[in-house]
Amino acid sequence: MSDEIRAAMPEVSGNGHQDVREVESEFVRGHLLQAYGCFSSGHKFCREVCPVYQVTRNEQHTPTAFHANVVAMEKGAARLEEVADNYSYCTLCGGCELRCPNTLFVGDFYRNRTRTVKLVQDMRAAANKAGLGLWPRWQRWVEATMVGKNEPVLDYEQIRPVDPNRVADWAKDLPFEIPRGGENILFVDCEAAYYRTSLPKAVAKILHAAGVPFGLMYEQWCCGGPSLEMGYPDHARYLAEHNVADWKKAGAKRVFVLDPHDYISFVDMYPQFFPEEELPEFVFMIDFVAELLDQGKIQFVKPIEKTVTYHDPCRMNKRLGKWEAPRKILRAIPGLTFIDVDHVTQWAYCSGAGGGFAVEHPDLAKKIADLRIARAKELNVEALVSACPWSERPLTSSGREQQLEVLDLLEMVAEAMGLND
Amino acid sequence: MATLTVPNPVTDKAIAALEQAIGKEKVLTDVGARVARTRVPAPFPVHRFAEHMPDVVVLPESAEEVSAILRIANQYRVPVVPRAGGTGLADGAVPLHKGILLDIKKMNKILELDLVNRTVTVQPGLNMLKLNEYLAPYGVFYPDDPASYPVSIIGGRIGTSGWSLIGSRYGHTRDLVISLQVVLPTGEIVRLSDGGGAPKVRKASTGYNLKQLFIGTQGTLGVVTEATLELFPKPEAELAAFFGYESFEAAYRSTGALSTSGLGTLAAVILFDERKVEYLRRDDEAYIPLPERIKAVVATALYGVEEEVRAAANRLFKIARETDGEYLGDELSAGDWASRHDRYATPLHGRLPDGTVVPMSWHCEDAAIIYSELPAIKQKWHEITDRYIQKYGIFDNWGMFFYSNNPYKGWGDYLVEIDIGIWEQALNEETWQAWVNLKREITRATLEHQGSISACHGACREGDAEFIPVEMAEGGFELMKRIKRLLDPNNILNPSKNFLHLAYADEEVTP
Repeated sequence: MSDEIRAAMPEVSGNGHQDVREVESEFVRGHLLQAYGCFSSGHKFCREVCPVYQVTRNEQHTPTAFHANVVAMEKGAARLEEVADNYSYCTLCGGCELRCPNTLFVGDFYRNRTRTVKLVQDMRAAANKAGLGLWPRWQRWVEATMVGKNEPVLDYEQIRPVDPNRVADWAKDLPFEIPRGGENILFVDCEAAYYRTSLPKAVAKILHAAGVPFGLMYEQWCCGGPSLEMGYPDHARYLAEHNVADWKKAGAKRVFVLDPHDYISFVDMYPQFFPEEELPEFVFMIDFVAELLDQGKIQFVKPIEKTVTYHDPCRMNKRLGKWEAPRKILRAIPGLTFIDVDHVTQWAYCSGAGGGFAVEHPDLAKKIADLRIARAKELNVEALVSACPWSERPLTSSGREQQLEVLDLLEMVAEAMGLND
Repeated sequence: MATLTVPNPVTDKAIAALEQAIGKEKVLTDVGARVARTRVPAPFPVHRFAEHMPDVVVLPESAEEVSAILRIANQYRVPVVPRAGGTGLADGAVPLHKGILLDIKKMNKILELDLVNRTVTVQPGLNMLKLNEYLAPYGVFYPDDPASYPVSIIGGRIGTSGWSLIGSRYGHTRDLVISLQVVLPTGEIVRLSDGGGAPKVRKASTGYNLKQLFIGTQGTLGVVTEATLELFPKPEAELAAFFGYESFEAAYRSTGALSTSGLGTLAAVILFDERKVEYLRRDDEAYIPLPERIKAVVATALYGVEEEVRAAANRLFKIARETDGEYLGDELSAGDWASRHDRYATPLHGRLPDGTVVPMSWHCEDAAIIYSELPAIKQKWHEITDRYIQKYGIFDNWGMFFYSNNPYKGWGDYLVEIDIGIWEQALNEETWQAWVNLKREITRATLEHQGSISACHGACREGDAEFIPVEMAEGGFELMKRIKRLLDPNNILNPSKNFLHLAYADEEVTP
């Protein structure tokens, strides 16, 4: 299977391996100052908010350890290959960065903030660059992505590639045609395009009903974010280059994004690869819906009689500081009783799905999802609403076990607009 | 006379025994597991990182598993170092002789909430913030509130005999622990309360007060596996008031007057000296600017029911006014108090003598000093610190705090803190020795002024530990050694901490 995938893989730079000592010294050099900053701080406020630590209670899975390892490597007390695997125990949610006293109290002074997400990503890339072979499932995942041009979301067991020709199949039974290309492009995340197809359908219906013209890409590939998160930055770039070229060909000025993981790839990773003028504007669908509501361009006509709470997607709330729009939408849906848990409390919440964690550590990811559902259950609600398709699969599965429904916010918007009738 | 011999390394046989006793998945030997548990917050002799790495890490989940680990350690004569949050400031959890690192963080269950008798019984791996999140819906709280409140855990608080920021109202860790389950160094599991054995009784005269003996041992005498804790009604009202003064002397006098006011709701009195205020002006951009005439600050906090706090606030402001205090306003008072857990974490950076900004680690001395000696200690500690700054150029003086240190009252002795920045990346053996000498001089000054070396961190570090026999010269240290040997005949638990290797100095003992 894996050989077959490899045979079909395109040539991407970074497939060769570099000497581990060289990789280590480059890694240590790049992160030493930050590492000492963390090392010197007595207050590890990152720890109890960390979703992974909450379920493992293992100090080596903490941002403190991730930074202290750098100092230990500098002092010759540890080698990269001896500590690298610890960096797979992270969902890259970014909660730790927000709680870091170094970010909170001296950040402005230095124009600096703790970048644990980057540290973890860089270590994963370093380990792969040195050919340590620590994470076979991530390797297969990225190889399968190279072949399927989208993530292999339909087969977590064998990690077989999807068929790239079916990336827009979700749109087939819509009552209207979606053209290819154009100024407004709807980018449909891998998970949504192949697995949770009800989501892109809902989004397409919302845009259609609001009278916003939009098209699909000629050939949509994975945003590349997961490849970066799993330690394959060159593969991420390979995918990104295709997408940027496709947008250019389409004449895209604005890209609607329905998934937080895509969104952060576009606004955080793409600007590192491409000059800003080559990139279109990226609009997160939740923000756009809130805007359409404000402008009276869409109306909620159908009540949803339910008591719900909301799950802040980590990429939006913790990494990008965006948490207001979804609450505004939930409060506008007639019939809905919305029990909010504030976004700061949710710095400690996660579904476990991000950062490739669920691919490499499915059992621990499930524990994180179970904990998230248990917290929602304590509020005596009927459903937990999310705005992240990646979170929805594990949460739905844990929710089934604990008898709690999990809903998608954009799908609820379509329902409240009466578009499902 | 035989001296302490080199401890036995943990052999494959010992590891196999541990795996059999508690399960393979709870016994970790990889470098990642060990290197992450080598240190507590800096400064740490980074250049000696490898010397402190434990041989194996164990993650027990019950008293029985802890007991099994200690029995195996006795059998193979290898050291065991208990570790809680690993945020202590005095190296209590740093292995001096490698061995088995016993990490209690997996023991974080809440075992029983008794609202009728106002107790909660927990495993020691639980964090106080998490406990209070659990308690919130019941209208009660556990008031142990160190600066590391969002991360430190109950077992470590007990192991160090922690100090709480609001302890003058609610008591400190040792006052908040009603009873303990402890595993002794030889593996026996015992239950101890205050003068007896009833788990929820706060005061008894039935037997020895053995509970207190096991608080503040730095893991040298036993491993706490369960604790029954005190619950208080959640305070209805909380008021923080910060006052400014034109001189340290005025602020010092005012501190005395405020502390002895007799206000039952007074939770804390904290004096900032002129070097602390100067430092905040210089390098803490989060601190709200003060008028230049302000040279020293006194922070106070009141906690209680609303009527009490209102009345107490009137009296508090009156005392402050009469002792030349200028109220610094609601924004600074409420803001700085609310962010106290973050604020006292302190910074990433300091300055070299020429003003250059460099990344620096934070060190904090924490002697307990009686009120009359505070001005003299302040002068001596600054003089010592400044001299080392001039000579070595890698330290920075971040000023001093004086915190009320007593349970249920503001007066008496103070936790005296001098914060010193250390340019850790520039540390080598020579500058490390200079640092230890600086600490020694600070400790000598403490002892000259009838103080105790540590109010709450512990006296485990070089520069402190060797002075324990000096401070406790009137038979106290002799008694400590006898107790240590009685309970830990093979010197298994956290060996050499608190200078307790002397307990075994007259016989051949491994480790």
